[in-house]
This record gives sequence, C-alpha cells and structure tokens, in this order.
Amino acid sequence: MTSAGEIHNNVDLAFFGKVNASISHELKNILAIISEAAGLLNDLTEMAAKGKDVEPAMLITCSRDIIEEIKRGFTTIKQMNTFSHSVDVPLKSVNLIEVLELMIELAGFLSIAGQVRFDPPQQAVPTVLTCPFRLQNLIYQALVFAFESAGSAAEIQVSMQPEKSGSIRITFSGLGSKSGRPFPDDQTQRIADSIGAEIRVTADLQGIDIVVPEVIESMK
Amino acid sequence: MKILLVDDEKKFAMMLAKRLVLREIDVDYVFSGEEALVKAENAVYDVAVLDVKMPGIGGIELERKLKKLAPDLKIIFLTGHGSKTDFETGSAEAAYYLAKPIQIEELIRILHEVTGRG
Repeated sequence: MTSAGEIHNNVDLAFFGKVNASISHELKNILAIISEAAGLLNDLTEMAAKGKDVEPAMLITCSRDIIEEIKRGFTTIKQMNTFSHSVDVPLKSVNLIEVLELMIELAGFLSIAGQVRFDPPQQAVPTVLTCPFRLQNLIYQALVFAFESAGSAAEIQVSMQPEKSGSIRITFSGLGSKSGRPFPDDQTQRIADSIGAEIRVTADLQGIDIVVPEVIESMK
Repeated sequence: MKILLVDDEKKFAMMLAKRLVLREIDVDYVFSGEEALVKAENAVYDVAVLDVKMPGIGGIELERKLKKLAPDLKIIFLTGHGSKTDFETGSAEAAYYLAKPIQIEELIRILHEVTGRG
C-alpha cells in the first residue's frame, strides 16, 4: 500500500518534471529561432560575398531577433532557477504576486495555454508563510484547468483579494466548459489540504477561488 | 515543389520560410492549424511541414485534417522536444520527424526525398 507521504512525493516529482519539460521545450524553441536567424544571416552574408544585393533591413531584423531571443532565453533560465529553488525549504514566507506571476509564465509554456490577465492588487504586497513548492503546484493545476476550460483562444482573468481572516483569495475567472473533467481532482485537493488551502468552485464552473492561509505551522 | 509550413513560433516560421525561398523552394507559412486548413483548402501543396505542439489544432490532429483534404500530401513533423516519446506517439503516416533546431540542408534533403525530386 502506498503511504500518503509517497503519494505526495510522486505528485511533487511529477509536477517538477512537467514544469522542467515545458521549460526545456521553451528553450529549444528559443534556440531554434536563434539558429534560423544565424542561418539566415549566414545565407545573406554568402549572397553578399557573391556580389548579390542584400537588403540591410533583413540583416537588421536577423540581428535584432537574435538579441531578443537571447534575452528571452535568459528570462526563461531565471524563471527555471527561481522554480528550481522553490524546493529548497519546506516552509518560507513568499510574495504571492511573485509566485502567481511565475506560475502564469511557466504555465504559459504549455501548448494549451491561452492569454492570462493578472491585475496585481494595489494595496500592500500579500505575503504568506507556506510551502512554496506546493503552493506553486496548486496554482499551476488551477491554471491548467482554466486553460482547458476556456480554450487557448480565450483570456482568463486572475485577481487577488485579502480575506477578513488574513487569508488571501486568488480568483481565476472567465473559464468556459471545455475541460470535461471535474476540478479539483483528488490529487489537487490533496495538494491544497497539505498547505491548508481551500478550493472553491463557483456553481456555474466559470470561476475558481483558491484561499491561501496567511500562515501554516507545517505541511500535512 | 510547394510547401506549407505551420509553426506557432512566428519568427521561426518566417525565417525558415525565407531561407527556403532563398533556395528557390516555393513556401507558404502560417502560425496555426486553423490557418493551415484555410490555406490547404485554397491551394495544392506537395509537402506540409508541421510543428507538433501548437495551441488549438496541434500538428498530429492537423495532419489528419490535411490528409482528408489532400490524401497525397506528404508530412514532415517538427518538434521542439525531440524525444523518442514524441516520435512514438506521433502519426504512423508521417514521413519524417525533425527535432529543432533543424539543419536546413537536412530539411531540403528530406523534402526532395519525400517528393521523389532528389
């Protein structure tokens, strides 16, 4: 029989692997663009060497694309680094806006991803003491479900509000009905339970609230 | 030889198309499966070069739809993953898979091979 701890370990590892696979896919796409831009530059250089006319605008576009994609690559590597370090400690005080923004970026690498509009709260930055890795997993699962429900052509909205209890409510809205599976599934519910978070789904299935406690003493 | 290139990475598609044109290959490029179907309804292509992972209609599903429109169309898949798993889960009818970043000369060799114009 599999223990609760083993189940959590498997779920954690699966999430870590899925996110890293999507990052590697993103990095390959970036390298593919750099490769094509460099190849095109080489083609144009060879043409010029043979005395053929080469449009300077093409050279500028290729060079600019290479610079932009290198920047995109560095941004992606920084996101990968931040994500990888989220397993360093079981409990940590985290900035919820930063966690949400990172997960929106990482979930955005999935082919099912649609547009996400996130309006950070204007008031003080909400911080919570929680397990950063599990919180990321919970938010990621909600985003994946939202993308499935809304479809890749739609835009989902994400917002954040403090509750009277001190907990923070993260709301995902603009969902459709394309998913065809229930939310939360057992696995996602276990992730939420492990960090004392609550998942509320609206009756029309168009919205999900995740309520994150301000402080947890330990993971369950 | 007329090619339809489909990839949601717009810069990649545009630059690869430009490089093929420089090698005197006639190529149309689009950024989604949906756009590809519109193109295929209005033109005859010898080969479709498809990205596997795309939002909306992905490469594998697109291949099925394109084959209904043009049963003789040859297919080459491009994948950013390049893992064996991708190849195994892909369509049996696909002529070739190429992992990104691709080598242009290798793509051209395969284009000639699948069209019998080597």
